[in-house]
Amino acid sequence: MSATDIVGIAVTTIILGSIYGLVAIGMTLIYGTLRILDMSQGSMVMVGSFIAWGILVVAGWNPTLAIIAAFIATFILGALTQLVSVQPLMRRRNAIDFEMVTFITTFAVAMVLTNVALEIFGPFQRNVTPVVTGSISVYHGVDLPYQELTMALVSIMLMAGLGVFLARTRWGMAIRAVAQDLDAARLMGVPVGKLYPLTMGLASALAGVAGVFLGGLYFAYPQAGDLPLLEALIVVIFGGLGSLPGTVYAAYAIGLIQATAEVIVGTTWSLPILYGVILLVLIVRPYGLLGKPSEARL
Amino acid sequence: MSDRPALASSPFPAMTSGRWGLAGLAVVLAAATPLVITNQYTLGVMITTLILLVLNISWNFVLGVAGVWNFGQLALYALGGYGTGIIMLHSSVPPLLAMLAGGLVAMVAAILLSFPTLRLYGIYTSLLTFAFAEVIQYVILNDGSGLTGGSFGLPIVPGLYSSLSLAASARAYYWTVLAVVLISTTALAAVAHSRLGIALRGIRDAPGYAAARGVNPLRYRIAAFAISGFLAGIAGGLYVSYNQSISPSVMGLTPMSVYVTMLVIGGLGTATGPILGTILVQIVATLLVTHPGAEFTILGLFLLVVVIFVPDGLAGLIGRYWRRIATWAAEGEQTGPEGGETAPAEAAGATEGSPDQHVA
Repeated sequence: MSATDIVGIAVTTIILGSIYGLVAIGMTLIYGTLRILDMSQGSMVMVGSFIAWGILVVAGWNPTLAIIAAFIATFILGALTQLVSVQPLMRRRNAIDFEMVTFITTFAVAMVLTNVALEIFGPFQRNVTPVVTGSISVYHGVDLPYQELTMALVSIMLMAGLGVFLARTRWGMAIRAVAQDLDAARLMGVPVGKLYPLTMGLASALAGVAGVFLGGLYFAYPQAGDLPLLEALIVVIFGGLGSLPGTVYAAYAIGLIQATAEVIVGTTWSLPILYGVILLVLIVRPYGLLGKPSEARL
Repeated sequence: MSDRPALASSPFPAMTSGRWGLAGLAVVLAAATPLVITNQYTLGVMITTLILLVLNISWNFVLGVAGVWNFGQLALYALGGYGTGIIMLHSSVPPLLAMLAGGLVAMVAAILLSFPTLRLYGIYTSLLTFAFAEVIQYVILNDGSGLTGGSFGLPIVPGLYSSLSLAASARAYYWTVLAVVLISTTALAAVAHSRLGIALRGIRDAPGYAAARGVNPLRYRIAAFAISGFLAGIAGGLYVSYNQSISPSVMGLTPMSVYVTMLVIGGLGTATGPILGTILVQIVATLLVTHPGAEFTILGLFLLVVVIFVPDGLAGLIGRYWRRIATWAAEGEQTGPEGGETAPAEAAGATEGSPDQHVA
């Protein structure tokens, strides 16, 4: 393996890890607070891609506006998803099947969103203008497009911002309180009913912003969320459900595995190798890297 | 369900004589259908539905009765199909034996898959099994030896009835698959009420308590995977025989979401649920075949509404209305206090699966 390969792997790891982290951290936040695995997060990526397409290509407006619009739109959509598919089930929260039932309802929401997009936009892949163009040369033969660099930076900023939000702000502390002990939080006057849509809206907004960048890297099309969702699922499970630091580590670990596999055996085999690694990790550590048996908290 | 005696004297405690009659009538009607319907397209859709039904019955057993969230079932289905197809293509073994061998291939794979899942619970199980399915799909797609034919799939497989004419073989397939559906429904319903079925539901609903009472989760879960895997393999064998080919597109997220929708709408863990759900969803899918977007939007909304408002699925819903009618009829004869508790009013579906399906 040459030095170029190693630098290439390092650059790809940071980019892949950041974008995986952005989608996966939302899923972790939702799992930690609501105890559900939100399968509609992939569709939020797709919606973000289509908003980027609409604003950048159809309207020809500013990329910053695309990011803000995607954030707001997917925030609202995520909050609505919670109200439609999860809130009616909250009274069954303590039933042993709650996780699976909400898994199915959020999956149903994803099915509806994907196929509404299919009816409106058709199955075509649409080019999305990159948010920024051009690239810099990091090393001999390793180019880093500004689009990917910006993507990684924005992801890291958003992840750090989420951390500060959870640690410092009133609402963030409320989210953590609910994740730690629902009943105690309710007794302390935390408005749990408002908090749930807020959490899911916030997580969806992160996925929507990821969609703006991923749309520029790949395309905007109805199934654009499927692969990010699978990758985020892998990251979340690998890191241990509900553990925010675990998710961030796992995102970069998965990025490293995939980047290395792409260099050594090629792109076709990178995903099956990833799945192979996951199989092994789950056999050895059934609760993921930082997960705790049955009770994994933020 | 916990109030019921441990082992019923009959293997089908929910079946009254009237219900046996109803089931018999349905079987006769289903068996006579190909004599009435001569349209080859309609018959083809019906055969495909029946093959899916075999798959869904096998999946329902591990998902609903055993409560193990196995999302690798389509891989077992594909393994059975490829196993059968490859044996049919490359040897002169009788076709029925080839199908049996396909079922065994899937069964062995299912047993191997059951070991790692024993240590996991709920959502982790689903990801591990789904990862297994993805790996199988990649291996089939990227097989360099030419055995699987990559993304094009297997070339023309002779199938079960290669000597018959087109119309005659369609009818023969219809009856064959119908027979498999009947045998597997009856057999699995009997198993669900046997010691094995009760043990599986015990492990599903209260793993700790079941283990403390001496139910060995290891043994029963492996048995559940083996039974379900064998049947999924047979379904794959039927698929490859009838379609004369199989490709990796039988697996993946999209077909899986349709089949899960079928099971959940029908009622997970019940005997009649998979039948109701598969037929209903298949009708919707056939009517909207030119509008894939609308089809999945409607299925998604359906799924959402059913899970939120009717958690036990159509089988449970029908069971409850059946009971209400029976109560109403009983009140006419004698003003009984609580007719809902009378034995014949208990619906086939409602007795078998509790409204809340549990994660392992």
